[in-house]
Amino acid sequence: MSGTKFDFYARKQSAHAHDHDHGHSPGSDHAGDAHTAIEVPREGPPSEFEIMSRAMQEILEAKGVITADQVRSRMEQFEEDLPYRGSRVVARAWLDPEFKQRLLEDGKAACAEMGIDLEADRLIAVENTPAVHNLIVCTLCSCYPRSLLGMPPSWYKSRNYRSRVVFEPRAVLREFGTVLPDRVTVRVHDSNADMRYLVIPLRPAGTEGWDEERLAEILTRDTLVGVTTPSGRR
Amino acid sequence: MISRPSTYAPAPGHRFNVGDPVCVKQIYPPGHRRTPYYIRGKQGVIERICGAFPNPEEIAYGFDGEPKKVLYRVRFPQHHVWPSYSGPAHDIIEMELFEHWLVPITAAPKG
Amino acid sequence: MSDQPMNKGPHDVGGESAAAVDTIDHGMSFWEKQANGLRSVLSGQRIVRIDELRRAAEDLGNQYSMLAYFERTTSALRTVLLEKGLITESELRAKMDEIRKRFNVPDEMESPLKNASQK
Repeated sequence: MSGTKFDFYARKQSAHAHDHDHGHSPGSDHAGDAHTAIEVPREGPPSEFEIMSRAMQEILEAKGVITADQVRSRMEQFEEDLPYRGSRVVARAWLDPEFKQRLLEDGKAACAEMGIDLEADRLIAVENTPAVHNLIVCTLCSCYPRSLLGMPPSWYKSRNYRSRVVFEPRAVLREFGTVLPDRVTVRVHDSNADMRYLVIPLRPAGTEGWDEERLAEILTRDTLVGVTTPSGRR
Repeated sequence: MISRPSTYAPAPGHRFNVGDPVCVKQIYPPGHRRTPYYIRGKQGVIERICGAFPNPEEIAYGFDGEPKKVLYRVRFPQHHVWPSYSGPAHDIIEMELFEHWLVPITAAPKG
Repeated sequence: MSDQPMNKGPHDVGGESAAAVDTIDHGMSFWEKQANGLRSVLSGQRIVRIDELRRAAEDLGNQYSMLAYFERTTSALRTVLLEKGLITESELRAKMDEIRKRFNVPDEMESPLKNASQK
């Protein structure tokens, strides 16, 4: 169509000629998710996309649009800081009912209270109760509260999760080992525009007297997306 | 506290209020849209008003997204969205929809 | 609903039948972290907008489902940078050729960022 049309898939085929079954039609009879198979970290020579990504960064550095330091520090932030914020916020909410109320009323403002800058993200916290279980998905891409949980796991980005959670959430939850009785309402959130979502799980029995740090340990990423529930054992 | 960070933005002149029944337009225009296909033509209730935000349908093509559009969260019963839904009747699904994708149900939605 | 859905993008998969979810997180390779860092810096400074990148990914059409997540985002970033004139096709081709040669040195492959910062 345009002059910049580029056959990305041809590039991929040449890079993955031996390990990718590209004759497969997506969504047909295959048991695994093609995306997931490709997303496994690779050892060996760089792919065309790796080279392309690297090249774009170096060109933009040379032009002074960005610096290598900016990219590196962002990468470090994604590794070392962002993934650990969400559990701290929810642990605080478990310990301080007034904070939890403020978090539910305005997620971004409550995080700012804790010194957590969500940057462009706008946050809606949703609370699990004995009667309601919340579950987050983004069917259109992979919107995710990155400023609180870091990068989404591969399953969150997979076609299988994105396709199915909206119409068979209980079946998907069972695949994560989470079985909910019918009396509990499953409330699915398709994170499709400007808001980002964080689940406040039910605080499990057996966590009485735990401090914020200890509570944060059981508030795993999966519990904050709503695919599993935290356990207070041990 | 001049610019206290907030999830929400002002929504001057918003057309719908919390609790209003609405129908998602059943239209299929080309281009970048944030209204999932599966929800078009479905009826729900305004769950909250998020505020007015730059229009992603414009930003996607290099424009500034002005004028802003009011964004709502809308709640739908799962059994209405998926006629073959197998879970209990009280299960719900919610998502964000811009005002220009919504029509009031009292105005007899097209379709 | 036997007609082909009109203008339904390859990304708009909610409601489609699909296989069981692989609930293991396979993590990210180094280049994916670099690609993510680059995209995050560029969108954080509003040099490119997330909605532009999404649109460019959706425009991949049939290729969308054949590419992995960061292959799509990298393709989309290329499209948007070209549209905005921030890079040109010939610049990109030349730089990719240069990097291909450089990657033949195993030590450099292990730490492209370190090498970039030494320049």
